[in-house]
Amino acid sequence: MNVQFKKGALELCVLALLDKQDHYGYELANKISKRVAISEGSVYPLLRRLAKEEYFTTYLQESSEGPSRKYYRLTDKGRDYLHQLIHEWVQFTQGVNKLLQEGDHIE
Amino acid sequence: MNKKEFMKKLIVGIKKLPKEEQQEVIQDFEEHFAVGLAEGKTEAEIAAALGTPNQVAKELVATYHLEKADHTSNTGNIFRAVWAVIGLGFFNLVIVLGPFIALVSIIASGWVVGGSFILSPLLMLVNVILYPETFIFFDFFVSIGLTGVGIFIVIGMYYVTRYLSKGFIHYLHFNVKLVKGGLKDE
Repeated sequence: MNVQFKKGALELCVLALLDKQDHYGYELANKISKRVAISEGSVYPLLRRLAKEEYFTTYLQESSEGPSRKYYRLTDKGRDYLHQLIHEWVQFTQGVNKLLQEGDHIE
Repeated sequence: MNKKEFMKKLIVGIKKLPKEEQQEVIQDFEEHFAVGLAEGKTEAEIAAALGTPNQVAKELVATYHLEKADHTSNTGNIFRAVWAVIGLGFFNLVIVLGPFIALVSIIASGWVVGGSFILSPLLMLVNVILYPETFIFFDFFVSIGLTGVGIFIVIGMYYVTRYLSKGFIHYLHFNVKLVKGGLKDE
């Protein structure tokens, strides 16, 4: 699959995961890469950008094993943005799926 | 690649970012390795899953400069943002650098015209000093008139420059989205 294409969907994946609960960087990278073949490293530039755009805030939390972890929490602004993205995503995929189905009829 | 090698390359790639920013990035990746090791992965596995440190660094630098160009659009910021975006891929060389050079030439020529109009009495005086016999009142008044026109051009160029650089930042954003995939209709 096209690398650039996947990167576009990354943003949506990160926001969707954070909508359910707060996560730290490793979790986000790991959860996404289990389902979508991405370079986990590309999650971090994205996280920095979205944090600067105030879509989420960060806080440090001690962990029982190892060093403290930086958690990401979705803001209201981020949630609004997520809903907008989901809306666009659904429209986009529906459109593509329709086209693919129409393709089937021809065969 | 082990953790040390990965971090070394990453740090080299982001050394032009401010110290604070570098520290945060390093912390993020230190944490990533620490959690991965705690889960029983090897350094090599974690590094392989992260991808190449060069690419990660490039994306970090591009993200940083674009963000900065948004807030304060002075010339230096825009230049750095342009280079960072070009760094994202050779594809951009034509698409970003072409319009950028065109834009800079237009702006530069506007300023040069305005500036030389303003300075025209000076040039006329230099001419008179060198060849006193050529002094003509007509030239004198025309050059003063040009100064007036030049002042208006320079004032106009100030707004044109601001407007165009804002527009260009939008274009860079569009370009990053295009390169990163997922063009949305905004």
